[in-house]
Amino acid sequence: MTLFFLFPIYWWFLSSLKPFGEIFHSPPVYTGFEPTLSWYRTVLLGESYVTQEIQSTGAVTGEGGGSYYSVPFLMNSIIAALVSTLIVTVLAAMAGYGLSRFNIRGKVHIVFWILSTRMMPPVAVAIPLYLMYQSAGLLDTRLGLILIYVAMNLPLGVLLMKSFFDDVPRDFDDAALVDGATRFQAFRMVALRYVWAGLAATAILAFIFAWNEFLFALVLSGDHSRTMPVAASTFVTSYGTEWGYLAALGSTAMIPTLLFILFVQHHLVRGLTLGGLRE
Amino acid sequence: MSRAVTGRHSPDKPSHLRRAGEIWDGPTPWLILAVLWLAAFSIFPFLFAVYRSFFTFNIQSGKFVPAGLENWVMLFEDPRVWNALAVTLKYVSLGLGIELVLGFGIALLYNQDPIGVGFFRTAMVLPMVVPPAVVALMFQLMEHDSFGVISYYAYKLGLLTPQEPFLGGEGKHAMAAILLPDVWQWTPFMALIILAGLRSLPRHPFEAAMVDGANAWQRFRYLTLPMLMPVLVIAVLFRVIDLFNKSFDYVYILTAGGPGRRTEVLSYYDWLATFQYTNWGYGSVLGLFMLVIMVVFGNVLIRVFQLRW
Repeated sequence: MTLFFLFPIYWWFLSSLKPFGEIFHSPPVYTGFEPTLSWYRTVLLGESYVTQEIQSTGAVTGEGGGSYYSVPFLMNSIIAALVSTLIVTVLAAMAGYGLSRFNIRGKVHIVFWILSTRMMPPVAVAIPLYLMYQSAGLLDTRLGLILIYVAMNLPLGVLLMKSFFDDVPRDFDDAALVDGATRFQAFRMVALRYVWAGLAATAILAFIFAWNEFLFALVLSGDHSRTMPVAASTFVTSYGTEWGYLAALGSTAMIPTLLFILFVQHHLVRGLTLGGLRE
Repeated sequence: MSRAVTGRHSPDKPSHLRRAGEIWDGPTPWLILAVLWLAAFSIFPFLFAVYRSFFTFNIQSGKFVPAGLENWVMLFEDPRVWNALAVTLKYVSLGLGIELVLGFGIALLYNQDPIGVGFFRTAMVLPMVVPPAVVALMFQLMEHDSFGVISYYAYKLGLLTPQEPFLGGEGKHAMAAILLPDVWQWTPFMALIILAGLRSLPRHPFEAAMVDGANAWQRFRYLTLPMLMPVLVIAVLFRVIDLFNKSFDYVYILTAGGPGRRTEVLSYYDWLATFQYTNWGYGSVLGLFMLVIMVVFGNVLIRVFQLRW
């Protein structure tokens, strides 16, 4: 079963090492081709693809000036995902704590409203957002992407953090309050310690969703802020799709998230209980 | 709750510290940033969409013309909407069904701690970290009718014919073509959530049930399932929202709604109306229509399963 889920990634990685002709070979080629790093050299080092392509295929595709050098796009993606994750984690922890610890009138409605902001179809949000960004000068900036990614990930983050805090007995905080700590100190030094795994899970999910996001980036980003998924989709040209570059970029793009996840993997599985089971 | 402990400060505490801390005694400072952030990014787009839904965009003059209820009437008369709704519902229910069943199966399997579970669990995270747009491109290569590796084996096994491939032909298998990447990418997500839920179940009820002679199915049906329900409901809710709204990525890259309109999901049709036909008013109506469906669904789910917040 797991192999079924790993196969596409294995295949993609294999394709990124194949010379041009072998990628399109049927029946499928697993071994016996000469591995090449030329796709990676173009995507990661920006070596002229024209030279390489003439050598390997004898033809030049792609429009003039188009480049498959993708490091800037990867950087845009990493920065947007990382910064938005950081903000989401802080805001969600605070809001989750507030919703968990205080008796607020109409709390159910507040929570549902928070959830419903996530239900807005991104397609419908894109145009108003575009106009908002246009007048605020946020179009084609990383900041613009960060702002919307925070909004996109806050609902899940707040709900998760609220349920994690719900699992921490209020007595713990109250004990700290009696000892003279302020509410904020009780939050930071007591409650937060017990939801560490949950906080990590929230951060991972926020990172994954921001990293994966396509539509907002497609509409709101440009040459200065284009993210990796959007850049990848431009590899599909009117002349055909540049599978080799795509495979190389896709394989490279798995590395940052994978590192991030390996780092906090056991938190993810523990934190994903969503906290709803303790009662 | 917080009021009950107002007199907690020890008298020797410096007064400036006390005052600095007291703003945190109410819920406002905890929530204000998150709420304002969400409001900024939801209320304006929402009001904008409602407002624009009463206008049509005239592409010649570049102006918005008041249109009354025209766009809303069109919603009910446009056969493409109902086609798109049917396609979307099929996509969501098939995707959710497959992912739930497979995810449950994998989670139950891994919960037995087979050899190498650690490695496999890590490996299962991989599909989630590839952006759906890139996943769609991966599957485009693998589902290609002449050199796709999945197509190749599907032909061999007699599941597909080159006349009716995943992509192209009359589109008999186009739905499978856009479901496959979604299932591949998000089944592990389901499995991980369910596995995490299984791991946190208390042991005593199961031991008691064993003593009482309950068989494996009964233990699953009357203990595991009810206790997992809160986790499952949240997982299903977020999965449905994404299947409903974000199938866009796969459709945009893999099929562009075709062949014909067999894979034209609502989010993609909304995209076409807004960006291709530049009919912003109607695009807004479609977006609001989608929002209404999701809000109703969310409410029903929460009511039926009595989710407590």
